[in-house]
Amino acid sequence: MEKTKLKIILLGDSGVGKTSLLKRYNDKDFKQLHNSTIYVDLVTKEICIAERQVILQIWDTAGQERFKSLPSRFYRDTDCCVLVYDVNTLKTFESIDNWHDEFIKQANPETPTKFPFVLMGNKTDVNNGKPRVVAKEIADQWCGSKGNIVYFETSAKAKINVEEAFLEIAKKALTNERQIDDMERYRSVVPTIEKETPRSRCSC
Amino acid sequence: MRTLAGVEDEDKWLAEGIAGIQHNAFFMHRALDANNLREVLKYSALMLSELRTSKLSPQKYYDLYMRAFDQLRQLEIFFKDESRHGLPVVDLYELVQHAGNILPRMYLLCTVGSVYIKSKQAPSKDVLKDLVEMCRGVQHPIRGLFLRSYLAQVSRDKLPEIGSDYEGDANTVMDAVEFVLQNFTEMNKLWVRIQHQGPGTVREKQEKERNELRDLVGKNLHVLGQIEGVDLEMYKETVLPRVLEQVVNCKDKLAQYYLMECIIQVFPDEYHLQTLETLLAACTQLMPTVDTKIVLTQLMDRLSNYAASSPDVLHEFLQVEAFAKLSNAIGKVIDTQLEMPIVGAMTLFVSLLTFTLRVHPDRLDYVDQVLGACVVKLSSVPKLEDARAMKQVVALLSAPLEKYSDIVTALTLSNYPRVMDHLDDGTNKVMAMLIIQSIMKTDSCISTADKVEVLFELIKGLIKDLDETNAEELDEEDFQEEQNSVARLIHMLDNEEPEEMLKIICVVRRHLMTGGPRRLPFTVPPLVFSAVRLVRQLESQGGDIAGEDSATPRKIFQILNQTIEVLTSVPCPELALRLYLQCAEAASDCDLEPVAYEFFTQAFMLYEEEIADSKAQVTAIHLIVGTLQRINVFGVENRDTLTHKATGYSARLLKKPDQCRAVYACSHLFWVDDPDGIKDGERVLLCLRRALRIANAAQQMASATRGSSGPVTLFVEILNKYIYFFEKGNPHITPSDIQSLIELINNEMQSDNGNTTIHSDPFFTSTLRYIKFIKQKGGLMGEKYDPIKL
Repeated sequence: MEKTKLKIILLGDSGVGKTSLLKRYNDKDFKQLHNSTIYVDLVTKEICIAERQVILQIWDTAGQERFKSLPSRFYRDTDCCVLVYDVNTLKTFESIDNWHDEFIKQANPETPTKFPFVLMGNKTDVNNGKPRVVAKEIADQWCGSKGNIVYFETSAKAKINVEEAFLEIAKKALTNERQIDDMERYRSVVPTIEKETPRSRCSC
Repeated sequence: MRTLAGVEDEDKWLAEGIAGIQHNAFFMHRALDANNLREVLKYSALMLSELRTSKLSPQKYYDLYMRAFDQLRQLEIFFKDESRHGLPVVDLYELVQHAGNILPRMYLLCTVGSVYIKSKQAPSKDVLKDLVEMCRGVQHPIRGLFLRSYLAQVSRDKLPEIGSDYEGDANTVMDAVEFVLQNFTEMNKLWVRIQHQGPGTVREKQEKERNELRDLVGKNLHVLGQIEGVDLEMYKETVLPRVLEQVVNCKDKLAQYYLMECIIQVFPDEYHLQTLETLLAACTQLMPTVDTKIVLTQLMDRLSNYAASSPDVLHEFLQVEAFAKLSNAIGKVIDTQLEMPIVGAMTLFVSLLTFTLRVHPDRLDYVDQVLGACVVKLSSVPKLEDARAMKQVVALLSAPLEKYSDIVTALTLSNYPRVMDHLDDGTNKVMAMLIIQSIMKTDSCISTADKVEVLFELIKGLIKDLDETNAEELDEEDFQEEQNSVARLIHMLDNEEPEEMLKIICVVRRHLMTGGPRRLPFTVPPLVFSAVRLVRQLESQGGDIAGEDSATPRKIFQILNQTIEVLTSVPCPELALRLYLQCAEAASDCDLEPVAYEFFTQAFMLYEEEIADSKAQVTAIHLIVGTLQRINVFGVENRDTLTHKATGYSARLLKKPDQCRAVYACSHLFWVDDPDGIKDGERVLLCLRRALRIANAAQQMASATRGSSGPVTLFVEILNKYIYFFEKGNPHITPSDIQSLIELINNEMQSDNGNTTIHSDPFFTSTLRYIKFIKQKGGLMGEKYDPIKL
């Protein structure tokens, strides 16, 4: 049986815990990260959904400091976009709008209002006796205004909702899998007559 | 090699490359669907050949690479499914090595290698070692970088680290580390090599392109920081030395700067702390063109944040002697880089000081040591003229003020004033203002003469002119703001111990006296009031008669006399007069008659000789009379002398109305409304009658000049004085006196208004109404008013 490959990307400000979430999901022990993700990282994970073998290709991105540096190519052919913010830092939630809009602009999905997003509010374990800054109701409101985006409250550290979130992400990605077969995509741009292979310019 | 191509050309070449990839990917996918291994290998190799281009800039090459990368993910799925291609992975690993060109061959090999590791049919370390070695075959910088980046990507989750599926024997972590280090080393060499290609004219563009590639190299360090099992020992013995060796030896400015930054960001704080010496040694070996100060600043920020995260880690800092090592390293960097501008050195000192204040706030010797090093550096340049460097020095001097809520702590730093001496006059003033504002904000109390001495040395930019040749005139408003700040500061100097407070006053006085005529009017008053406050404190304590050095009111008044005298030559006679009167009153409260008399003598001398303006004279005479009235220390002879002078000068003011008012004010000198006060009713009456004569004279003068009498205001005012003293029980004021005065006023008003008898003066009207009210009310006071007919 052929395995389905699904591309998922994580977007969000620097420091919200995207990499920690990914590591936790990938069965790694939580390790306090001391730095921002440099550039882009990729995790491949095979799972089974509804008796279907799926390969998740999850891209972990750098945060704010690389906001404009990701080539548009990176966003394309994404099956599900995950937006991550820190429930204890208001600025990271306010940036979600920008990340959402940036993705729509760069990825240019056929039907933007129906493209699957998932929002994650991370670091719910961090309290230090203080009330969290972004209330769940506020996040739910935002999700409703963007076409009922699914929302998870997570903690990579305390292992809260991480499995559940990524399972939902995989399901949404699977549902959104490109209806157009890869074959169709290439057939439209390639001439039917096979070209002769050009002579090699270099011997190595 | 790539020529000087335009952007349009690159876009065309990129489009061609993408088209080539898509073309071959199409056929590759067809072969994948047919499970035709031979065709798959053929078309995938052709597709990957597109990456052999030399025409693209790094950014565009990245775009092309990502297209290929996506396809390789499909290929990997195919390779993983033995049932589709029919070969064991070990045979597949062998087969792909037959690809004709090395670049496609290596991409295929890495892809199959990834599957090979995952199959666990061979140890992860063996396959990785094979791959990292074979990638040496691609030495073209951009191609090699992206190839190794691909290797790093696909191997990321297959390293034989602790806890992974591919964990090996006891040496497993070292195997993982070795692989990543080797890949990193090779990538860095490729990265550095880019700069040696092409003519010098493209150097600038080349540098920009190299910057675009740096994350590919830095990613390896990121991976090193994430490998499970890399403990402090391994980091200290293997990881850091190997990385730093590559950093230092690559002799490339761009790489050194970026990689040091990565090291600081990627590894844990405690690792940095425990390997601080090694890390700092590398910093001092970086090329002079590297902006080492930013690297060191980042490191210190990182460490001070770590120290702030928990009080438990402080002992680690002490154990490794972090401050000493940082201090030495910074000194060495500054000494080595002779070309470093002064602003760079100052920036480093600011960072070191910030670190020190955050990690070791209780170690004032460390703080002072940083300031001392700063002094040495500043002394090595002829004159500090760089505005940015000046700004850094201000930041350096501001840091202790912000850190220590008790400003006095900063004053104990012996090098602090030495740093300030290197500021220009303008900046020195700015700094002085910051110091004063800091004291005001924290409500600090400076309580010893020694500290006051230090403080005034620090703010001397505001206390006196530092540069005699500086003719620049400060905006008057700014100047006043400055001096008012100094004045406010003086009120913050206090000590409960009289002897120490007297010393403080003497120190302040000595400094203020150097201020010059423009400053003294602002600064002397608060000093005088501080001294007067001390006198009152001594008096309330029933001052002990101690030895020579003890503070006594008499001694303080001596100082005050000399201090105020300076104001007379500024000249500020009005201000000096006020201060003399304040002192006289204070001396009176201390029962020091000769001293009080002396202060009044000084006041009268100023009045006679210095105050010429008639309005100023009026104000002065009332101040004198008011103060004299409150004083009860004088004997009969001294009192008569002073009151005689006061009444005499009152009668000789320039204008009649002013004379009149001053003279009737003098009446209070002879009737003090308290049980022990003087009660000389006869002389009160004499003053009032004299005032009446002056009022009459004023009225006649007005009548002569305007043909009609002037307002009766003066008469009404005098009437109210009569009433006041009448009610106070002055026996010399009789009802008939009041009756006569009322009739006089009525006559004056009638002559002014023809034959009408209307009382049109509101003051007079309300005065008469008052008398009626008292009469109607009856009682003892009412009876006194009975003889008066209205």
